[in-house]
Amino acid sequence: MTTSLLAEEAQRGTQRLTKALLWGSGAAAVLWFTATQIGLNPAALVRGVPFMLDFFGRMFPPDLAHLALLRDATVETVQIAVWGTVIAILLSIPLALLGARNTTPHIVVFHLIRLLLNALRSINELVFALIFVAAVGLGPFAGVLAIALHATGMLAKFCAEEVEGVDRGPVEAMQATGAGRLQVILFGVVPQVVPAFVSYAVYRFDVSIRAATILGLVGAGGLGFSLIKTMKLFQYHQTATCILVIFVLVFISDWLCARIRARIL
Amino acid sequence: MVLEIKGLSKTYPGAAQPALSDVSISVPAGQFLVILGPSGAGKSSLMRCINRLVEPSSGEVVFQKTRITKADLRAVRRQFGMVFQQFNLVKRLSVLTNVLTGRLGYRSVLRSLFYSFPESDKRIAFECLARVNMEHKAFQRADTLSGGEQQRVAIARALAQEPKVILADEPVASLDPKIARQVLGYLRQVAKELGITVLCNLHQVDYAREFGERIVGMSRGSVVFDGAAGDLNEDVLRKIYYDNVTAG
Repeated sequence: MTTSLLAEEAQRGTQRLTKALLWGSGAAAVLWFTATQIGLNPAALVRGVPFMLDFFGRMFPPDLAHLALLRDATVETVQIAVWGTVIAILLSIPLALLGARNTTPHIVVFHLIRLLLNALRSINELVFALIFVAAVGLGPFAGVLAIALHATGMLAKFCAEEVEGVDRGPVEAMQATGAGRLQVILFGVVPQVVPAFVSYAVYRFDVSIRAATILGLVGAGGLGFSLIKTMKLFQYHQTATCILVIFVLVFISDWLCARIRARIL
Repeated sequence: MVLEIKGLSKTYPGAAQPALSDVSISVPAGQFLVILGPSGAGKSSLMRCINRLVEPSSGEVVFQKTRITKADLRAVRRQFGMVFQQFNLVKRLSVLTNVLTGRLGYRSVLRSLFYSFPESDKRIAFECLARVNMEHKAFQRADTLSGGEQQRVAIARALAQEPKVILADEPVASLDPKIARQVLGYLRQVAKELGITVLCNLHQVDYAREFGERIVGMSRGSVVFDGAAGDLNEDVLRKIYYDNVTAG
């Protein structure tokens, strides 16, 4: 008995190995092909090192006097992220409930909302920013709208999936009390998804801060404008200061958001 | 009769066997009725067909001389308190708020939007908690309680509906024997005090004997026994528990 089981296990082991080799070589072939297509070239990277060093040399030392000029842009960056995230939170709560199978009023609504959310998610903040700069003019408001729409797509999709994953038990219990549809959602569903939603919203704010630092590239406010301006004017010492400020800002935001999320979950 | 179940059948879509076939039971007011049977006998389906959490395929349920229909489901459901095997409390809400959800059937959606309840509801909730000796934990979160305590809170939630009937679906299946007896004791006591009719699904014979004023035995969706605890002999138990095991 044991002998035959051992034999079977040995056979299964060979099968596992064959399968792993097949998949592995397949993946390697695909990767190699794409590498030649997009021109991955380590030699070019090595040849480029002196140029990079030259570039960094021109940036060093950062022009710290430029810091004072960046103060307003830094504050603006944070403000864009805050408002973009707040609008996204407000929009995504109803959208998530309409776009979750178990809370949607109709299956057609569900599909339409999911389509909308996928569209919002697939468009990058910078692309949205280009559109809104054209629509509402240069400045931070365009940036706020850009971040709000993209973040809504992400946040609402995530929240809808959380809603679909809730424990059915409390929902059934609420239905059994004679509660109406909305009451069942408010008491049976919402409390179950609040922690994950808040945690993800905080994470989204962190992502929005990073996005807001580059929106200025297309004229939608924040630090990105100084970044592109000083680069175009070859004021590399000041560009370095911008990068430094962005780094510190993202670092602080990341640290803060991680702490908040750890407390919630 | 407070409740008359007449020829109730239910076949779930895609199922080969009906979950309920032609079940008829009449329940007088104030009775503690135990529905006994193995897992899959149709006990849960029966309860859910009574308060229309599940729509029966055929047959009818008459509650206080009125046929229960899909119209005005709210008014009907709040007359039936329900207690579940997994307690089904909303874990992140306080014990008090959980009991207050028993009042949702009486309150407007607008007010619920703010998670607010009137003073009179809070009074009812505290009284219900006191009946199961849980008022000292009113402000704790529901998930800080033990299983037995959670089920007592769930009983309080059902009582807050001021129901005529309590449907208890395997209320002690997740509890150890000592706590199970205690919880069933509370259920029997409050039902007696308030004159509430109880339908209690159980799969353990000894609890059924101990707590059931009357026992209905179910097997494979049908009623195979209906009588007093004293009449629950070996023959009957074989019919309930073993006749459904197909040969082999």
